[in-house]
Amino acid sequence: MKKLTASLLPLLLLGVQGCKKEPPPPPPSTTLYVAPTTTQPAVVSVAGVTLGNGIDANKKITTAVDTFTPKETIYASVDTIGTGPAKLRALWSFVRGEKVAKVDETTIEVNATGPTTNEFHVSKPSGWPKGDYKVEIFLNDGAVPVQTKTFKVG
Amino acid sequence: MAPQDKDDDMPDFSDVQSGASSTAPEAEVYETYEVKSGDSLSKIAKRVYGNASDWKKIFEANRDLLKDPDKIFPGQKLKIPAAD
Repeated sequence: MKKLTASLLPLLLLGVQGCKKEPPPPPPSTTLYVAPTTTQPAVVSVAGVTLGNGIDANKKITTAVDTFTPKETIYASVDTIGTGPAKLRALWSFVRGEKVAKVDETTIEVNATGPTTNEFHVSKPSGWPKGDYKVEIFLNDGAVPVQTKTFKVG
Repeated sequence: MAPQDKDDDMPDFSDVQSGASSTAPEAEVYETYEVKSGDSLSKIAKRVYGNASDWKKIFEANRDLLKDPDKIFPGQKLKIPAAD
């Protein structure tokens, strides 16, 4: 019996060792990475206004200038960001000292689904009087312009 | 400084032509015109569109403001839709 036990002992030990399970290695740590998404704010705002004498197919000013000749068409390109309904109004004026004369007022109503580019333009077949002008951009019936650009005709 | 009533000392801008457009789909473009004494929708249409019969376009665009196309008043601000 003793011999049997002794001869069986290594086998028993092996079995014990075979049964003895190493604790499973810890799973590799995973970090769930969520790429940041660029979301548009839910309100439209004016990001910028540029003046020039021409626009491209995307309604961007081709060459920004702030002095025009009397026969040129004058463009104002207005970029917006955000989404939702918005009203953009361009009020063009001639300024002589304290006096201001309205030249034109045009409005665009949009339902923006992302950034937009909007162009307003004015021309005068008989030629622009030389002097100082300005274009004010209003947003959503605001009483105060969100952007004002001054320019000259000369 | 807000634009003021016509001043003989200031230049005349009655022949100014304007327009606008947007990259946003289905944008609506219109001019804002302030009614002056002696104006009528057909006179305004004649000046803006070159055709007095287009007064209906102006009337339709301002149904919230105008109940009767023959009754417009100085100072009223009308939407003038862009020409087709």
